Amino acid sequence: MLEIIDLHANIEDKEILKGLTLKINKGEVHSIMGPNGSGKSTLASILAGKEDYEITKGDILFNGESIMEMAPEERAQEGIFLAFQYPIEIPGVTNSYFLREALNSIRKSKGDKPLKPVEFVKIAKEKIKDLKMDESLLNRSLNEGFSGGEKKRNEILQMSILNPCMSILDETDSGLDIDALQIVANGVNANRGDDKSFLVITHYQRLLNYIVPDFVHVLIEGRIVKSGDKSLALELESKGYSWLEN
Amino acid sequence: MENFKKNIKDNFEDFYSQNTSSDVLNNFRKNSFASLNSLGLPSLKDEDWRFTDLNDFYKSTFKHRIQDNKKFDSALIPESLNFSDVTFVYLYNGKLSHFDSTENVKIEDLESYVSSLDSNEFEEIINGHSEKNKDFTFEMNSSFLKDGVYIEVEKNIKLKKPIVIINYYDSEASFVCHRNVINFQDLSKGQIVEYTFSIDDISFLSNKATCFLLGNSTNVEHLSVDESNKSSYILSNLKISQKKDSNFTTDTILTGGKLYRNNVHPVLNGEGSNSNILGLYLSKDNQHMDNYMFVEHIKPNCDSRQLYKGILKDTSKGVFHGRILVHNEAQKTDAKQTNRNLLLSEKAQVDTKPQLEIYADDVKCTHGATTGQIDNEALYYLRARGINLEDAKLIMIRSFTEELLEFISSNFILDLHKSFVEKWFLNSQLAKSE
Ligand SMILES: Nc1ncnc2c1ncn2[C@@H]1O[C@H](COP(=O)(O)OP(=O)(O)OP(=O)(O)O)[C@@H](O)[C@H]1O
Ligand SMILES: [Mg+2]
Repeated sequence: MLEIIDLHANIEDKEILKGLTLKINKGEVHSIMGPNGSGKSTLASILAGKEDYEITKGDILFNGESIMEMAPEERAQEGIFLAFQYPIEIPGVTNSYFLREALNSIRKSKGDKPLKPVEFVKIAKEKIKDLKMDESLLNRSLNEGFSGGEKKRNEILQMSILNPCMSILDETDSGLDIDALQIVANGVNANRGDDKSFLVITHYQRLLNYIVPDFVHVLIEGRIVKSGDKSLALELESKGYSWLEN
Repeated sequence: MENFKKNIKDNFEDFYSQNTSSDVLNNFRKNSFASLNSLGLPSLKDEDWRFTDLNDFYKSTFKHRIQDNKKFDSALIPESLNFSDVTFVYLYNGKLSHFDSTENVKIEDLESYVSSLDSNEFEEIINGHSEKNKDFTFEMNSSFLKDGVYIEVEKNIKLKKPIVIINYYDSEASFVCHRNVINFQDLSKGQIVEYTFSIDDISFLSNKATCFLLGNSTNVEHLSVDESNKSSYILSNLKISQKKDSNFTTDTILTGGKLYRNNVHPVLNGEGSNSNILGLYLSKDNQHMDNYMFVEHIKPNCDSRQLYKGILKDTSKGVFHGRILVHNEAQKTDAKQTNRNLLLSEKAQVDTKPQLEIYADDVKCTHGATTGQIDNEALYYLRARGINLEDAKLIMIRSFTEELLEFISSNFILDLHKSFVEKWFLNSQLAKSE
C-alpha cells in the first residue's frame, strides 16, 4: 500500500530524514517510536503532502504510484489521512461545516454525489456518539477552545467520517486520559480492515496494548535503526533508546 | 486644489441662487458653506487625512446636478433585494423618487420636510450633532442640503417590515449630494437597510450622508451596502445621535468606489445607550477605502463596540482610523475597538491608526488591530482533509468575516449581509488571488 524508499528530507537546509525506508502492506498496522526531534512528525507531514520540506532523495509510492508531486488534497482524496499531533484551530469555520466540506470533496473526487446537510449530520452524529464526544462540538468553531483531548478525539472523528485506507496517527494518544485512550483506540480498531493500513506514531507502549501493531520501528535521527514485532515496544519501554544510538 | 475650490464655489453659487427655500434652510446652507471655506480642503498633512491622497480627486470637475423628476425603475434592483414584505424607498441620483407607504411612518422628501421646520426644530433634527470634528465632507453635504429622504417612526412603534432605501446613480460627471435623516421616536424599534449602486463606467462624485436620531429606549438595526462602480468618488457620512437606553447596530459593507471616504460618527448622548459599529471593506484593483470612525461618548454608562474588517486584493488600499472620544461626564464608558485586515495580495496595503482621547477617569477603553494573510498552516490542514486549494482559501476568507455576524440579531439583515459578501467573493475570483 505505502512504500517509502530511501527518503532524504531537509528543512531550512537541515537534514531531518536521512534515508528512511519503510513498507506498509494492506491491512497492516505499523508503529513508529523514537526520541523527541527524531523526525517522526516530519515523516508524517511529508506523507500528507506538506510543502515546507525539500526532498533531496528517495520516493514515496502509494498503491504502486509515486505521490511525490501530489498536492495534499489529492493525497487525501486517494485515501491518505494524517491525524495531526497539533490540530489547527480555525475560528469562524464550524466543525460540522468543515467535516461536510471535506467528506464531499473526497466524494466528489470519486464521482459520488455530495451529501446534503441532513444526511451528513446523521452520519456525524452516529460517529460522534461512538467516540463519546459531546454533540455540541459539531457546531463549534473547528478545534477552537477544544481541550487537548477533545482535539485528539476530533481527529479520530474526522478519520472515521472520511474513512481513509492509509491512516497516520501522530501521537494521537498524547494528552488523552485513560478512558479517552480506550475510546480512541476502539475508534481506530473499528476502522481496521483487510484493506486498511495504519502508521501509529507514539511515545507510549500503552496505546499498543489497545491498537496491536504488526510491526514496531525505531526512528532515531532520521533513520529507522531497528524493526521488530510488538515486543520491541515493551523492550523500549524498559530500556529507553540509548542502547540503539551509536 | 485651487481649481477644485473654485469649482465647488461656482457649483454652490448656482445651487444657492436657483434653490431658494425657507430662511432657516437658506441660512443653514450659507453658514455651512462658510464653514466649509474656513475649514479648507484637507491634504496629506492633515492628521485625519494622512493616508488618503486627494490630489487626483482635486483634479475632477464634477458639476452639481440639478435634479429632474425621473422615476426610478425598480426592476433595476438586484435579485437579493427582491422582497415583497419590506417598505421600499427609492432615491434616484439622491432625489426621492417614490416609496411604499406604511402605517405610523412618515416618509417625505427631505427639503420639503425641512422647509416646514422652525429654527428650533431645525436645530434639533438637522443640526443636532456634535460640533466636534468638523469635516469638509459633511460641511459640503450641509451646504447642498436638499435631496434625500426624511423618515420618522412614531413613538412606541415596532416596524413590522424593514425599510429598504434604494439609492441609484446614473448621472455622468455629476456631483450628487443628498442626505437621509431617519428619526426613531422614543420606544420605537425597526430595521433600516440602505443599498447604493450605480451603472457601470460613469464617473461621478457622491457626497451622501445618513443621520440617525434615536430617541429614548429605541432599538434599531441598520445595514448599509455600497456597490457604486469603481470609477466613482464617494464621500460618505453616517452620524448617529443616541438618547437614553437606545440600542443601535450598524453594519456597513463597502465594495464600491474608486476613492471611498467612510466617516462614521456615533454620538452616545443618552445614558445607558449602546452602539455596535460593524463594517466590512472589500477592495480590489486600485480601490482606496478610508474608514474614519469617530465614536463619541458624552453621557455615562454607555457601551460601544467597533468591529471593522477589511479584505484587500490586488493593489487596493485601506485605511482604518479609529477615534474614540470619551467626554469628562461619560463615566463607566465601555468602549472597544477592533480592526482586522486580511491581505490577499502582496501589493495590497492597509494603514491603521487608533486615537483615544479620554477625559473621564472610570472608563474601560480598548483597541486592537491586526493585519495578515491567509494562515498557511490552516490552509494545509483543510487541504490535508481533501479540500481543494481554491475551496480552502474561500473557507478561510469566509471565516474571516464570520465574527461580524455575532453582533447582528435580525435574520433579515444577517441574510442580506451574507448574500452581499458572497456576491463579492464570487465576482472577485478570490481563490485565484496570490
Ligand atoms: N520549520 C522548522 N525549522 C527548523 N527545524 C525544524 C522545523 N520543523 C521541524 N524542525 C526540526 O526537525 C526535527 C524533527 O522534528 P519532528 O517534529 O519531526 O520531531 P518528532 O520526532 O516528531 O518529535 P516529537 O516526538 O517531539 O514530536 C527537530 O529537530 C525539529 O526542531
Ligand atoms: Mg512529533
